[in-house]
Order: sequence, then C-alpha cells, then structure tokens
Amino acid sequence: MRSNILENCMLNIGYWILAAVAMAAPLTLTAASRFPQPEFDSGYVAHKMPHPAPDFAVTPMMDILILVVALCIAVVLVRKVRSRNWILFFGLICLGWFGFIRNGCFCPIGTIQNVALSLFTGVRLPLVMGLFFAVPLIFSLLSGRVFCSVICPLGALQELFIVKPLRMPKSLDATLRIIPLIVLSVGIVCAVNGAGFIICRTDPFVGIFRQSAALPMLLTGMGVLLVGTVVARPYCRYFCPYGVLLEICSLISWKQVELTSNECINCRLCVGMCPVDAIEAPRPALSDKVRGRQFKQFLYLLVFLPIIILAGAGVGHLAGAGVAQLHPGVMLVEKWQSVEEHDEDLFPSIEAFKRSGGTIEQAKMQAAEIVGRFREGCMYSGVFIGLILGLRLLVLSKLQGRKVHQASRSRCVACGRCFSVCPNK
Amino acid sequence: MKNEDKDLTRRKTIGWILRAGIGAVIAAIVVKTSRRSSGGRLVWQIDPRKCIQCGKCETACVLQQSAVKCVHGIQMCGYCKLCFGYFKPDAPRLDEAAENQICPTGALIRKFIEPPYFEYTVDEDLCTGCGLCVKGCTNFGNGSLYLQVRHDICVNCNACRIAEVCPSDAFVQVPENDPYLLKELLPRET
Ligand code: SF4
Ligand code: SF4
Ligand code: SF4
Ligand code: SF4
Repeated sequence: MRSNILENCMLNIGYWILAAVAMAAPLTLTAASRFPQPEFDSGYVAHKMPHPAPDFAVTPMMDILILVVALCIAVVLVRKVRSRNWILFFGLICLGWFGFIRNGCFCPIGTIQNVALSLFTGVRLPLVMGLFFAVPLIFSLLSGRVFCSVICPLGALQELFIVKPLRMPKSLDATLRIIPLIVLSVGIVCAVNGAGFIICRTDPFVGIFRQSAALPMLLTGMGVLLVGTVVARPYCRYFCPYGVLLEICSLISWKQVELTSNECINCRLCVGMCPVDAIEAPRPALSDKVRGRQFKQFLYLLVFLPIIILAGAGVGHLAGAGVAQLHPGVMLVEKWQSVEEHDEDLFPSIEAFKRSGGTIEQAKMQAAEIVGRFREGCMYSGVFIGLILGLRLLVLSKLQGRKVHQASRSRCVACGRCFSVCPNK
Repeated sequence: MKNEDKDLTRRKTIGWILRAGIGAVIAAIVVKTSRRSSGGRLVWQIDPRKCIQCGKCETACVLQQSAVKCVHGIQMCGYCKLCFGYFKPDAPRLDEAAENQICPTGALIRKFIEPPYFEYTVDEDLCTGCGLCVKGCTNFGNGSLYLQVRHDICVNCNACRIAEVCPSDAFVQVPENDPYLLKELLPRET
C-alpha cells in the first residue's frame, strides 16, 4: 500500500517534470523530436498504418455521363413514351442511383453554392461539379423540368409520398413561393462570404440517403415527407433554390411538357390529376375594353417595378445584419463578449483565435467588416427577389387568351400523371 | 393569316435568342469556374498542424460514427514508456489498466517492444475521433498522434459539417488521388 502511494507520487512528479520539459522545448523547432526516435536492437520493424482511398462509385466523367444519359432517357419518357408507369419505374432506378448509391451528395442543388463561391472568390471547382450544375439547366432550356420528374433524388423521393394532394389557395401559394427565392439568394450570400453552405444544411433528405443522420435531421426529413402526402412535393415548390433556376430556364424552353400528343378537347380531366397545380385552364381572349384596362394595369405595375426592387434592396440591407449571425466570425465576437475572461479558454473558437495571435479588438473589427459584406450581399439579394416578384406580378395581368389546357412552364415537374387520364391521347 | 405567321416567326426568333443568351451564360459560368479546376474531385482532410483538438470532430460529423479518427505517424513517435497521449496525468500506475488511459474507449493499444520502448497503435474500430490522445501527444510529446478524415468511412459531403464548425480552419479540400495530410510527411509550418 505504502509503496503504491510512493510510486504514485513519483509517477505524477515524473509526469509533470517531463511535461514541463516538453512544454519548454520550442514547439516550432522541435515539435517532431522532443523525444528522439529510438533505434531497436530486437529487430523490431514499425508497420505504418494503411490509409484507405476515398470510395467513389464511379469516375467523375462517368458520373457526368450517367447524368446526361439519365436526362436523355427522361426526355424520351416524358415526350415520346408518355407513360406514368415508365416514368415512375425509371424514377425508382434513378432514386437508387442518385439517392442511395451516390448518397444524394453532391447534387445540382448544392452545387449552386460551389459555383457561386468559385465565381466570386476564385476557389477552384472540379469540372464535374460545374457540369452537374449546368447540365440539368441546359436540359430544362430545351425541354422543361425533366430533371425534376425523375432524376433529382429529392423530387423522386417526395414523388413517392404523394397520397392525396390538396389544392393550395392561390394567395398562400404565392406567398410561400417567395421562400425559394430567399433560400437561393441568401444561400449564395452565405456561401460566398464564408458562412458555410446553408442550402446543404437545410436539405431535409440527405440524411435518409446517407442512412445515417442526427435525429433532428431525420425527423425533419420525415416531417417534410409527411406534409408531402397532402401538399405534393413541398420541398420542390416552397424551398428548392435550384427550382428557381430551373423555372427561369423552363419559362423560355424550346419544348414544353405536353398534356396530350393530340388535340386538347378541354375535358378538364387532367386538372384534377396534377399534384402541383400546374395545369392552366383556358381563358377567353379579352374584349378590347378589358384589354385596354389590363394594359393600363400592366403599365402601372411596370412603373411600380423599380419601387418594388428598391424596397427589396432596403429590406435586404436591414436583414443583412441578421443573416451575418450565421458567420463564425460574428458568432465568435458575440461569444467572446458574453464570457468572463477566465472562462475564455473553455471555448475552442476563442482559443483558436487567440492562438493565431488575434485579440478581441481584431475579432470585432473583422466581424464588423463581415456584417458589412453581408449587408451588401443581402441588398443585392433584395434587388433580385424584388425583380422576380415584380415580374411574377406582371405576368398576372394576362393579355393573351388561351384556347386549350396547358401545362405551366414553370410549375410542371413532368411527373406524367396527366398523360394517362387524357381521353384523347 | 400572313400576319399571324409573321408573329409566330418573330416569337420563335425571340425565343431562340433568349435561350441562346441563357445557355451562353451557363456555359460561361462553367468555363470560368473550371479554368482553375484540377480535373478530379476534392475530398475533405484535416491539416494536423492547424488542429487544436477541440473535440468537435467526434460530434459534428453527419455520420453517427464520425469519419474522423486518430492516426499514428509512427515515424515521429518516441516510443515513450510514459506516453502523454496514452496516460492520464493522474494515472495511478503506468500500465494498461483502463483507469490509467486517456482514451475513453481504449482504442490506443500499447505494446512492449524492448526496454524501455513501447509501441502505440490505434484500433480504428474503437476510436471515436475525440482527439484527447492527440491533445496530450501534441502538447507534451512528439505529436505523432493526429486526427485525419478516414476515407473508407467519410461520404464526402459537399459541405463537410465539421469543416463548418472547426474553430481553427483545419479542414481543407485535397485532391481525391492524394487524400491524406500525413503529419510525418508534411513540412512543419503551414
Ligand atoms: S424542384 Fe428542386 S428538389 Fe424538386 S425535383 Fe426539382 S431540383 Fe429536385
Ligand atoms: S474540429 Fe478542427 S480543431 Fe477540432 S478536433 Fe477537428 S480538426 Fe481539430
Ligand atoms: S483518445 Fe480519442 S482520438 Fe485518441 S484513440 Fe482514443 S478515441 Fe481515438
Ligand atoms: S465530409 Fe461528411 S462524412 Fe466526411 S468528415 Fe465531414 S461531415 Fe463527416
């Protein structure tokens, strides 16, 4: 017992002496050799640890090739085969590949941030990422949002959970459709200014694809799918930032999704089938008088547009300070100011900043500069959101009549449900 | 009829001009961003010289078992009998009993080689990437224990969650064909 205590004591003393010696040795000069590497008499050979290579399913070029081929097949299915069952079947295959095998990451939605980051800061971007961003957009310039119909794993997953889609009230729909604009622009501002990739962080399904996620994320994902049983594709319609870009491309696309390859006989059967309210009913050509009135409205709105944009810029500038709270540099200052001096070392971010030779004054200056950048970025975001909202309003004052039913260029995700109900296919 | 035809052609032309415009913008973006591209993909890795062993690597990874684990650059190791990465400062004895060890999971294996040297290896199945041993070894020893993203586990998130919370900016993206930053092979300064 006694010897035990003694040994214990000596041990600890020994430890601290050694530690003191070790600490005293200047780290930069001798970090690798506080204790010399021994030479062994017993013929011992050190075995080095193996370091496994990353396990990608395919090469980058193959990755792109698969995406292009899948998109081509989707175009054929939507335009030529025109069968909901085939679309669904192919969607399952794509879900398996793009979702569960590729882990749903990286996906075109997330690459918005990589591309923006690379554009604004000059960080290098692997070509395969740039192409993942661009290829679906090009396809939607040519034939609408086929990417959304089967390729996008998020879309394909939500597609499976549509049970009894309700109509969304127009005003609610219009309000919620502002969210994707915010996500897109704020996502870019955050990515470019070093606050991380919030679009990736808010992807509710990637945990399901990885089959490993923290509980809150998993629950959110399931929650969204649950909502999706009655509000079809909630993420696509009211959150997806890539959807905004696809919409813009699809609005001017060469071909669009056709409800029937024949002539529409206005039976209205398809309207009830569409889960995302994308079918536009015919509307009468306007009488000259109404037309004149509408045109006046249109002009008023046009004058109003700069005001909307300015308002957007103002709101953005104000909101910028709030958004900047997502930046670690701003969080650091907040934490630093709130802790007592003797507690500072409990916080790794403060410790790291101090180790790099920084003081709280420097941190504050940096944070102020960051907030400034966020204000500027969010101001531009406000301009962008104002512009799109204004354009959406302008489109409301429709001037041209339409004789048949049509799939909306911006909303239709080419799921193919309407194809089969058309009596005149 | 003539008029309508004209209207149609005009609309078509405008459509193609718009499409070509947007297409050109997209193409320009790809060209501009890929100019500095390395061709291959990038993967996440820890620069061990910047890591301050804050412990976030263990908890922040999107995987339930963190993809970050301790590795041992054995060429740097002093084979110390009293390993600062292995023994708690208040260890009652210098032997392999659990209460003496820093590692909460017993993932660091200590093996006698010849007096007075001991070899330390990492049992990767047990290691949780908490970095406690790394802290000891870095602060008081040779710094041969350090943390790395293990690429047999990491799923290469586009946005690595740990990189976003790492206080010392130790996470960097490296080419997929050279995916480790092994401390024993790195120049000492960053
Ligand atoms: S809207 Fe977005 S999430 Fe939905 S299918 Fe299209 S790209 Fe995917
Ligand atoms: S989060 Fe950064 S500082 Fe903390 S242990 Fe991981 S690499 Fe090291
Ligand atoms: S102390 Fe932590 S990092 Fe070191 S071997 Fe054990 S679990 Fe791994
Ligand atoms: S990239 Fe993802 S899986 Fe890999 S270490 Fe980071 S968070 Fe974990």
